[in-house]
Amino acid sequence: MDAFYASVEQLDNPDLRGKPIAVGGGGERGVVSAASYEARKYGVRSAMAGALARKLCPDLIFVRTNFERYRQVSDQIRAVFYEFTDLVEPLSLDEAYLDVTENKVGMPSATVIASWVRQRIKEETGLNASAGISINKFIAKVASDINKPNGQKTIPPEEVIEFLEQLDIRKFYGIGKKTAEKMYLKGIFTGMDLKSKTKEWLGENFGKSGVYYYDIVRGIQHSQVKPNRIRKSLAAERTFRENITSEIFMLEKLDHIAEEVARRLAKSEVAGKTITLKIKYSDFTLKTRSKTLDYYVRSKDVILETAKDLLYQEKMENSVRLLGISLSNLNTEDKKKEKSKKEKPIDVQVKFEF
Amino acid sequence: MKFIVSSSYLLKQLQVLGGVINNSNTLPILDNFLFELDGNSLKVSASDLETTMMATLEVESQDSGDIALPAKLLLDTLKTFPEQPLTFTQHENNTVEISSNHGKYALAYADGAEFPNAVSLEDPSTVNIPGHVLATAITNTIFATGNDDLRPVMSGVFFQFSTEGLIFVATDAHKLVKYERSDVKASQTAEFIMPKKPLNLLKAILGGSEEMIAVEYNESNAKFTFENTELVCRLIDGKYPNYEAVIPKENPNKLTIDRNQFLNSVRRVSIFSNKTTHQIRLKIAGAELNISAEDIDYSNKAEERLTCDYQGDDMQIGFNSRFLTEMLNNLNASDVSVEMSLPNRAGILTPIDGLDEGERVTMLVMPVMLNN
Repeated sequence: MDAFYASVEQLDNPDLRGKPIAVGGGGERGVVSAASYEARKYGVRSAMAGALARKLCPDLIFVRTNFERYRQVSDQIRAVFYEFTDLVEPLSLDEAYLDVTENKVGMPSATVIASWVRQRIKEETGLNASAGISINKFIAKVASDINKPNGQKTIPPEEVIEFLEQLDIRKFYGIGKKTAEKMYLKGIFTGMDLKSKTKEWLGENFGKSGVYYYDIVRGIQHSQVKPNRIRKSLAAERTFRENITSEIFMLEKLDHIAEEVARRLAKSEVAGKTITLKIKYSDFTLKTRSKTLDYYVRSKDVILETAKDLLYQEKMENSVRLLGISLSNLNTEDKKKEKSKKEKPIDVQVKFEF
Repeated sequence: MKFIVSSSYLLKQLQVLGGVINNSNTLPILDNFLFELDGNSLKVSASDLETTMMATLEVESQDSGDIALPAKLLLDTLKTFPEQPLTFTQHENNTVEISSNHGKYALAYADGAEFPNAVSLEDPSTVNIPGHVLATAITNTIFATGNDDLRPVMSGVFFQFSTEGLIFVATDAHKLVKYERSDVKASQTAEFIMPKKPLNLLKAILGGSEEMIAVEYNESNAKFTFENTELVCRLIDGKYPNYEAVIPKENPNKLTIDRNQFLNSVRRVSIFSNKTTHQIRLKIAGAELNISAEDIDYSNKAEERLTCDYQGDDMQIGFNSRFLTEMLNNLNASDVSVEMSLPNRAGILTPIDGLDEGERVTMLVMPVMLNN
């Protein structure tokens, strides 16, 4: 969103429109939270001391912050995001990463989606938004600043390298004033300069983040768009081409499904306690059987063993068209606490295959 | 009716039969012993409907009749008597009077006809087994039976009789014992699953008995007859798992070790293992067996080294120590061998010595897959 807090204030109060305003920073020692574009012309920036802002722009109008209202608008914006995809990773009240590789509107062009999202936001809130579109979160974030306000910029894959090479080091997301100064001293002014350095050198001089930027400047970033929504369960299931009756075949299928569940668990870095076996019979009746273990599991073997037990628990009523395994009671609720638990290796008592 | 019997002789028999009686019965009559008197022969029965055990006692009498007497009351009384003759007399008011050297005791009896009849086996096959052989077979297998209500067949011992010999198998899916006797043969092939309770009773009575036991069986029931005692029980219905399929054939890694030394080490080390998993780790390299356990929650840790005879690749395998101790405990050998293939496949424990002619024991234990 462009000058989010300030725009909201101007939206709510027509008297403020077209005028330089600052949200927050009105008090003795306050700091400006956001400045309208009119104020920015005078050099007023967010995080600037109120007194300094006033000096730069004597006509500046200070407005009290109203977080409740901003949150309300933020929720409206987020609702718009979810119209397009569930893979939304909020960065702040007014910024978010969206993974639209697979989206709800069936539009293959991310650029078009960006314009639609901005349009919908305008409709819903009356506010302007800017967007950056590219192959990873970092470049998208940097690109979103290029055509601000009320614009968007796409960096297509073939332009990524060039874009990063010519990019001013100060524009790198995550490189602030201090790091930029350090980089300047080492003769790094653009992405190109950064790229000329070895990984080791960057690691030595800038630590972990140096190594991170070694990849970034090469257009490599594997970080997923992580939806903040707390996961409640994770499942995998399979519908068979033909209904199956033999438990031997079911075991084989369960093996694959358990593997998929384990893979997804590993990918989302979660583990669960409750294992549920879902059985859909050929007459479409659905049965579930579940078992809760007293520890979190994520390994395929334990999931498969438990699923097998559940499978044998009762006789099949009919031939089966679908089998699924889901894990719930996930450790997402208290992730921190789980960290220590997870490190404890889970050993599995093996059983005879009767 | 009236009879005279030796107090200690009666007590001894009733104590054996009393093992059949459940602590709480839905049918109150089952809290009783059935006394069936026919002249000098007194037949006493106890039942839980699944299992019925009968003993025939010699008494002094000219009468006949059937009555049911409360088991607990009778046993409690008999236990207190020094050896002496006791006279049981049936009275009109539905009581039986016992007179001893010390005094008189009256207890209410129920009509013997109320007592459920023991099933009679139709068209049975018969095998004769020496008592001590059956007792050893039971001892060697029963500890490995399961308790899972979902797999009732695994809560019993699988009897496999053939003209080649007898095989007894028990498993709870984690451990498995196969006990073979090629010196005792059946006239025809038969398979049935015996429940645990009657086997425990038989084990207690038979001990080192040299007496031959006649085992009769059909589709649904089995009957064991020896000396003056008979035991009839219902068999567990169902198909026993194909245990042969889980016995690994290729086991390139073979460990030979002193049983007692091994058992003692496992016991000691397991004290330091996790209280719920009882997991211990065996590391075998060269001629050294390293046994270790760790309880991370309490920072308890133990490690022992034993010399052993080992042929195979260096390997590391985890076991539930309780399974190992149970198995080692149930063997008489002074040396045992452990054959293994992979850390996720069963280990095979066999005794090297101490076996009778024609006796063979194979014990399987599934490992704990170590995750690190």
